[in-house]
Amino acid sequence: MKNFEHSNAASFEQAAQELQAAKYSQPIAGGTDLLGTLKTNILPNYPSLVVNLKTIPDAAYIRDMGDKVAMGALTTLADVEKSDVFTGELKAVAEAAHSVATPIIRNSATVGGNLCQDVRCWYYRYPDAVGGKLLCARKGGDECYAIQGRNQYHSIMGGMHTGHNACSTECPAGTDIPAYMEKIRANDWDGAAEIILRVNPMPMLTARVCPHTCQTKCNQCQHGDSVSIHSVERALGDYILAHADKFYPAPAQETGKKVSIVGGGPAGLTAAYYLRKAGHSVTIYEKMEEAGGVMMYGIPEYRLPKHYVRDLVKAIVGMGVVIKNNTEVGKDITLEEIKSASDTVFLDTGAWKQPILGIDGESLTQFGLNFLVEVKKFMTKQIGKEVLVCGGGNVAMDVALTAVRLGAQKVKLVCLEQRDEMPASAEEIARAEEEGVEIFNGWGLKKVITGADGKITGLESMNCLSVRDESGRFNPSYGEETRVFSSDCIILATGQKVDIDFLGEKYREELKSARGLIEVGEHRDTRAPGIYAGGDAAYGPSVAIKAIRDGGIAARSMSRYMGFEPEVPARDKGFTKFDPERIYVTKGAVEKDTPVAERCLDKEDSTSLTMEEARAEAGRCMNCGCYSVNASDMATVMVALDAEIHTTEQTFKAADFFSVMHSVDQLKPGELVTEIQLPKMPGYRTGYLKMRLREAIDFAVTALAYAYKEEDGVIVDARLVAGGIAPVPVRLTAAEQVLIGKKKSAELAQEAFAAAMKDAQPMKENAYKLQEVKAQIVRSLEL
Amino acid sequence: MEMSKELTLHINGQTYEFTIGRKLGQIPESETLLETLRERLGLTGTKLSCGEGACGCCAVLMDGKAVASCVTLTAECGGKEITTIEGLADPVTGELDPIQEAFLEHNAFQCGFCTPGIIIAVKSLLNANPHPTEDEIKEALSGNFCRCISHYQVIEAVQSIVKGGEQA
Ligand SMILES: Cc1cc2nc3c(=O)[nH]c(=O)nc-3n(C[C@H](O)[C@H](O)[C@H](O)COP(=O)(O)OP(=O)(O)OC[C@H]3O[C@@H](n4cnc5c(N)ncnc54)[C@H](O)[C@@H]3O)c2cc1C
Ligand code: SF4
Ligand code: SF4
Ligand code: FES
Ligand code: FES
Repeated sequence: MKNFEHSNAASFEQAAQELQAAKYSQPIAGGTDLLGTLKTNILPNYPSLVVNLKTIPDAAYIRDMGDKVAMGALTTLADVEKSDVFTGELKAVAEAAHSVATPIIRNSATVGGNLCQDVRCWYYRYPDAVGGKLLCARKGGDECYAIQGRNQYHSIMGGMHTGHNACSTECPAGTDIPAYMEKIRANDWDGAAEIILRVNPMPMLTARVCPHTCQTKCNQCQHGDSVSIHSVERALGDYILAHADKFYPAPAQETGKKVSIVGGGPAGLTAAYYLRKAGHSVTIYEKMEEAGGVMMYGIPEYRLPKHYVRDLVKAIVGMGVVIKNNTEVGKDITLEEIKSASDTVFLDTGAWKQPILGIDGESLTQFGLNFLVEVKKFMTKQIGKEVLVCGGGNVAMDVALTAVRLGAQKVKLVCLEQRDEMPASAEEIARAEEEGVEIFNGWGLKKVITGADGKITGLESMNCLSVRDESGRFNPSYGEETRVFSSDCIILATGQKVDIDFLGEKYREELKSARGLIEVGEHRDTRAPGIYAGGDAAYGPSVAIKAIRDGGIAARSMSRYMGFEPEVPARDKGFTKFDPERIYVTKGAVEKDTPVAERCLDKEDSTSLTMEEARAEAGRCMNCGCYSVNASDMATVMVALDAEIHTTEQTFKAADFFSVMHSVDQLKPGELVTEIQLPKMPGYRTGYLKMRLREAIDFAVTALAYAYKEEDGVIVDARLVAGGIAPVPVRLTAAEQVLIGKKKSAELAQEAFAAAMKDAQPMKENAYKLQEVKAQIVRSLEL
Repeated sequence: MEMSKELTLHINGQTYEFTIGRKLGQIPESETLLETLRERLGLTGTKLSCGEGACGCCAVLMDGKAVASCVTLTAECGGKEITTIEGLADPVTGELDPIQEAFLEHNAFQCGFCTPGIIIAVKSLLNANPHPTEDEIKEALSGNFCRCISHYQVIEAVQSIVKGGEQA
């Protein structure tokens, strides 16, 4: 065991203070659980200080207080099991205490320590010394090893989220991916839509354009293909758009507050959606002919058909959002005017400006983004024969592929980066090459070469030694070597810049950041009160989903600023479930792609999955979380008997204290359990049943704490709580309802069992637990 | 926090003065009672097996009750009366404890590794309940594991002294 400082506490207050003052600290009671975790070094943070609670005077007692019984946190389980107080109607307490571990352990183990003990999952407890650290989801890692591993002692009711889901954490908007997958598995598409729309009002667009890095973090990558998250999202997005009237309703109430949004790109439309939903009146000022920003003008039709963007915009307008197209702020109207007519303003003007590289002949080149915007014009005009695209990002890939499809005879692409450094996603690069784009890595632009007639004949380039300097900043260094790429049309897709001139002089000075962008804080607030900003204008060129995130954050901040607290969606109660068979499918769904020869500019390349296919793919999602079971026998009884857990700071109802996987996570730093109070239950018959492999030592495979009140053979009240079947003790409310008011019988017990286990979802190896639960319900009824 | 704290241990009727700390000869805060007994005091009758409270081989009496010394911090034993298997015999005459005699008489062991822990657990039981039933004996020993299946003889041995007590 690694060393730590140690102190003997004289009071709970002193212990709390010392624990709070140390960076990592642990209280120790009997030590039977804590020392095991310290010896194997499995805690995420090894404590620098251990504070002994056993030296606190008068902390171990069992007192009859009339209508209730109080028990000091430091009371040993040996004393609990022997106490006269727990012989009658509260016998369940003694039975649970007696069932814990062994007599030797119970002589030291305390009630408080038992209630606060850590999980006993064998992956979680796997000693670090053997084969390295096993960082499961519960321990701050990503994957729950029990889902596809040995799980005979794990949950049959489903799992619980650990709060840092791999795929959701990777998504900039924090989309609750497993939650909507679960709804889709249940064929509840409306429920799924509601979940995704909480953070992203345009999944039909993001599913098509997002680089979906969430998939790189998907835990199914450990077993085969990642869950094809974007394909499922796309089917869901299509569903949402097909039922736009349902998902983009006008608000029920108007707040009377006025919001103006400059720029109708992804961030602006997102902010508009949430602000309008909250009942504010929203006007978008859009300089182009149509709203949608990059989605409308930058991304080629074959990746994102414009009718999706138009339909979404139409749906948002249908909510009552006003869009003023062809209105350029800074020219047609000033920000000052807008600001004075609005309660809050959101700026989403994007990054559209061409950066000036300063090479000879630059004026003869085309700007990639303009090329994409004006691609329709090119369709009637002749594209060059030999097109050279400069740049290594996704815009460059879009430009290159568009040029191919416009009929260029040869399309080459040069970029500074080596292949593995290219910012474009691997899929886009593969697609470009598939269609014949030739990529030259490690070349920088030197000068444009022209013929006698002044027309472009090629590009002289120099070899790039490194793109970034030691501090990781973009700062290319070049070698001596040069190379000429022949071309009659050069398109520069080497980045876009943010232009904030539209702000006007006053606001430009006030809002500008050191990088020439709009400076925003965590709430997307700018330096001007009431003005918010997000998307590329605030962060530089990036991906749509980040702009969507900004729009959402800004909408919440703006509502709050105008005096309206944004609604927080109620957390889904219940345990997370997965499909115990489909999670073993290692092949991910693939959207049907058009053969290369048939691909064109104005039709989408790929086809959405059908809803059935998407549902099957959602079945591969493991609903990552923790699928452990509660270890503490005492906890199960405390919930059944409706005990109160008193701490140095507050009082918890047992049902609340044990509603999270590790109850101590609910405690403040240094906060300690001091006492447990149990109401007396005159007239009740209580008990605790525990099924395990060996009579002593083992933790519960399944357990049942019960309290019945019977009159003339009729059950007039029942409280049943099961342990060992879920990450927390589970009150079997449905079974109680079946039992109450009825005469007990074997058939009734069967009916109660069926009701209790209606939502059970055993994993591969633990369906046998169902039989144990049934046997315990029967036994509890003393039939 | 001060680096040295006094620690007085009462073990098998003897008093030991230690200080807690990281220097040579001091007892580090994280030292278990089992380590102190075996490695510092040479009381190797107490055995280490599982090291996490599950087997009972390391049981010692603390104020008359059996506890697992492998999950007990020595630093928390100040003022407690500790008895190990070595402390059961009469310190003056060297006469073994009746439990030990009974175990010898009934051959209640094979390799003997688990035996000190079992005898301590029996002592703990008889301290609280001098006349246990067979079920109570089994229950009290349910935290002691034996690889060699000495259980049957163990129960006979314990029953023999319980009966003996009754006869006397
Ligand atoms: C072999 C073995 C078998 C076991 N079998 C079972 C079993 O069948 N059923 C069962 O329920 N348990 C079982 N346990 C777990 C055992 O019951 C608990 O270890 C014991 O009850 C914990 O009590 P303790 O006083 O020793 O806790 P400690 O180990 O001292 O503490 C446990 C945890 O709680 C914290 N803590 C302690 N007291 C407080 C307090 N007052 N306020 C806030 N935090 C506190 C500690 O910091 C620590 O993290 C077993 C343990 C072992 C070693
Ligand atoms: S069940 Fe929980 S503790 Fe066990 S491996 Fe899964 S996440 Fe970790
Ligand atoms: S399996 Fe599901 S919850 Fe787990 S990382 Fe993949 S998509 Fe997310
Ligand atoms: S070594 Fe202490 S109980 Fe096993
Ligand atoms: S006698 Fe060998 S382990 Fe018990």
